[in-house]
Amino acid sequence: MRLIVNGASHDVSPFDHETLLTTLRERLQLTGTKLVCGRGECGACTVLLDGISVYSCLTLTAACESRTITTIEGLSDNGELHPVQAAFIEHDALQCGFCTPGQILAAVALLRDNNNPTEDDVRRGMSGNLCRCGAYPKIVRAVLAAAGQTPND
Amino acid sequence: MTRRFVTTKVEIEGREETKVVELPTRNPTPWDDDADLHVVGQRVPRMDALEKVTGDARYTADLQLAGMLHVALLRAPIARGRVTTLDLSAALAMPGVRGGLTIDDIPDIKVDGVRLLDRTIHYANQPVAAICADSLEIAVRALRAIAMTVDAEPHVVTAERALAADAPRVRSSGNTPRTSPRIISRGDVDAGLRDADVTITREYHTPTALHTALEPHGAVAEWSGGQLTVWESTQGIFNTRRDVAKAFALPLSSVRVIKNYMGGGFGAKNGASHATYVAVALAKKLGRPVRCILDREGEQTDAGNRSATTQRVTIGAKRDGTLTAITLDATISLGIGGWLAGPARIYHELYRCANVRSSETFVYMNTGAMASFRAPGSVEGAFGLECAMDALARELDLDPLELRRRNYAEHDQDKGRPYSNKQLDECYRLGAARFGWTRARDSHRDVSASRVRRGVGMASLVWGAGGGPPAYATVRINRDGTIEVLTGAQDLGTGARTVFAQIAAEVLGAKIGDVRTVLGDTERLPFASNSWGSITTASVGPAVRVAAEEARDSLFEAAAGMLGTEPEDLESRDGEIHAKSNDACMLIRDVCERLGEVMIIGQGSRGPNPDKTAIAAFGAQFAEVEVDTETGRVRVMRIVSAHDSGRIINPTLAESQLEGGIIQGLGYALFEERVLDERLGLPLNPTMHDYKIPTIGDVPRIDAFFVDAPDAVANHTGAKGLAEPPIIGTAPAIANAVANALGVDVSEIPLTPGRVLALGRRQT
Repeated sequence: MRLIVNGASHDVSPFDHETLLTTLRERLQLTGTKLVCGRGECGACTVLLDGISVYSCLTLTAACESRTITTIEGLSDNGELHPVQAAFIEHDALQCGFCTPGQILAAVALLRDNNNPTEDDVRRGMSGNLCRCGAYPKIVRAVLAAAGQTPND
Repeated sequence: MTRRFVTTKVEIEGREETKVVELPTRNPTPWDDDADLHVVGQRVPRMDALEKVTGDARYTADLQLAGMLHVALLRAPIARGRVTTLDLSAALAMPGVRGGLTIDDIPDIKVDGVRLLDRTIHYANQPVAAICADSLEIAVRALRAIAMTVDAEPHVVTAERALAADAPRVRSSGNTPRTSPRIISRGDVDAGLRDADVTITREYHTPTALHTALEPHGAVAEWSGGQLTVWESTQGIFNTRRDVAKAFALPLSSVRVIKNYMGGGFGAKNGASHATYVAVALAKKLGRPVRCILDREGEQTDAGNRSATTQRVTIGAKRDGTLTAITLDATISLGIGGWLAGPARIYHELYRCANVRSSETFVYMNTGAMASFRAPGSVEGAFGLECAMDALARELDLDPLELRRRNYAEHDQDKGRPYSNKQLDECYRLGAARFGWTRARDSHRDVSASRVRRGVGMASLVWGAGGGPPAYATVRINRDGTIEVLTGAQDLGTGARTVFAQIAAEVLGAKIGDVRTVLGDTERLPFASNSWGSITTASVGPAVRVAAEEARDSLFEAAAGMLGTEPEDLESRDGEIHAKSNDACMLIRDVCERLGEVMIIGQGSRGPNPDKTAIAAFGAQFAEVEVDTETGRVRVMRIVSAHDSGRIINPTLAESQLEGGIIQGLGYALFEERVLDERLGLPLNPTMHDYKIPTIGDVPRIDAFFVDAPDAVANHTGAKGLAEPPIIGTAPAIANAVANALGVDVSEIPLTPGRVLALGRRQT
């Protein structure tokens, strides 16, 4: 079957039950997408499927035929960071970095649906992505900043 | 040159150790309050952020080696008993399966006192066999083809049961360690209690908490000839190397351990784990690289935890609040193994009191072993002590902050030593002001009849965070003027890479963008200890400074010749070397270019700690909560957290650490608790859905900051540790706020809705 990942087309032969997470990590070596819980509880494996954020550990590869998949590796444009990536660096919205690809893709999807979110919108929209280091306050700031807002305090 | 080796005291995770130290080649003038610094103290962006936001950062589980195999572990389905049959043959016959591992294939390796892959079962989910296959999926499927039968024997999974006279023996030596109970005493508590005008006694319970690092424990192992390379998610590459070399009887020089990026540790990754040993053994047996990464259930059940405790506390005080005696009787649940991180320490140190006695009973039971977890012992102890202090304040009708100020400990009372510096009073003053403590307390004075009630609470903290030797660093200057800082420390997401680069840039007068830090490789880098106990900056930072000074002296000597002056006449800043006498200047880059292939190298090491001096970080934390008396839900509205951690090298990264510690403390206060089925001895919530860590929606407004307090006595950079302190006082501050809101004592965490509703019933 054909998968379109980060603008490139790949012919893959996944098992019927294979998750998109496994295909990305093990077949395409796109290891920026992380396996943490493997059952849709933490959001570390978040990718964009036709622009919508999905947990790739709960998405079957077989269901992604000819659909557009964006992973963290495909977010920057010719070496230029996506505004959300730049904001994560500027606001130190990460510590160990393991949840960061998922956080960034969730934020990209959130801002695509709502380009002028309130702080509450960000908290709700990002609540499916866990961070154990506790970078949350700075994630809120980074997402608001990426939306062109000046965060409070 | 003659070297001198001396001994010094170093405190790590609440334990003081004596270390041999080699006196450094130089002893720089301490950076005190007046030091003129330009890079240290700046908000330099995190240096590995770019790799992390682009997905380029390769963690252990991301490694792909040619021919690499994958491992799944078979785990025990019961809490105690014996494996009676274990037949791997059907699994090994499956396509894609390359091999298996049982106790018969490996040397006698102990993890937390339990033999690796033991057929005697000591706790549920103990690994008993491993399958290695072309893919993880095949390995997992093959586990189901293993024929295993077990005979269950009676187990104990609670401390209370384990201490009963008729309890089954968890370890052959008994259910408590030889040194338990551990009793520490000063003064005469009986006399102190007789002198008291008021005495309170309370009992507190804290839960078993799970680290829940997003990246689980794991390793990739590859043998080449007699050389072994291990990529490991570890807080200590040299500890891991030591463990692996010992287990497989290898010289240290034959084992290389690499850790570049890691997805969190929080204390649980301080040496080789089950996964490491299994990967190494299978790689050896099969002659191929092997990856063994714990799955989430394995991580949540068999990779360490914070011990549950019961703390019975008695405090005596004069009518004016002066403490006359503190006693603690604590029971600490270790699980099958672990070290003795008890809650007592903070009872002896936080407040001035002549008479203190603690007794800690440590208990083995049939559950996964404890492991250090961010400020082990003191997080548990602070909950008991600080809730009891609030209970005493209520009894005396005193402001809880005032009670703490009246019992300010000027020095380390157990050892009779002064502190290198202590700015806890400043933390109280600034924290209370920024929180609006007095006003907030007054506005919540009446326990109203409304459904949602507000309350405020506070707690203070102390944590030994002085760091110390040994630690080594090398600074190299390349011919294009770029600089490398090399040291065998680890960056867990703390920002150590950035902090070391800032120190080197400061000394060399280099542009920060020209400095790179290389960490995490035992073969290529000089020794630094585990990144634990909040010690990395204070331990390794001074070694980096010495190395950079040595390199700077060489650089200035070379530049002096080029500029027609003496080295003492030179200073450097922002990449440029400048002669004070004649205004001549040159870029560092141009000096190096003219030197050609000369490589300037500076070596540095960490010197001893000051004699007979306690070095600690301090803090005061304030919380405001809303309690819904109908649903039992607690919402933390805001936290103010004031810290004395000495000089702050990078305020942004330091504040990130404070926020992270506070958020973990909030989870400990409200949500986090491992739940076991007592009858079956099995963990009931080994998932991230059922073991609740805070989400972004749970996070309150946090104002976390440092008082300005460079500690020139502690070490010559003035820095102390800061990663663990912010978790220590958070839970008691929140619990005290809930008690304030409801007008009743809080004695147990996490404050789940059920517990809060029960508190509400006590109140009415």
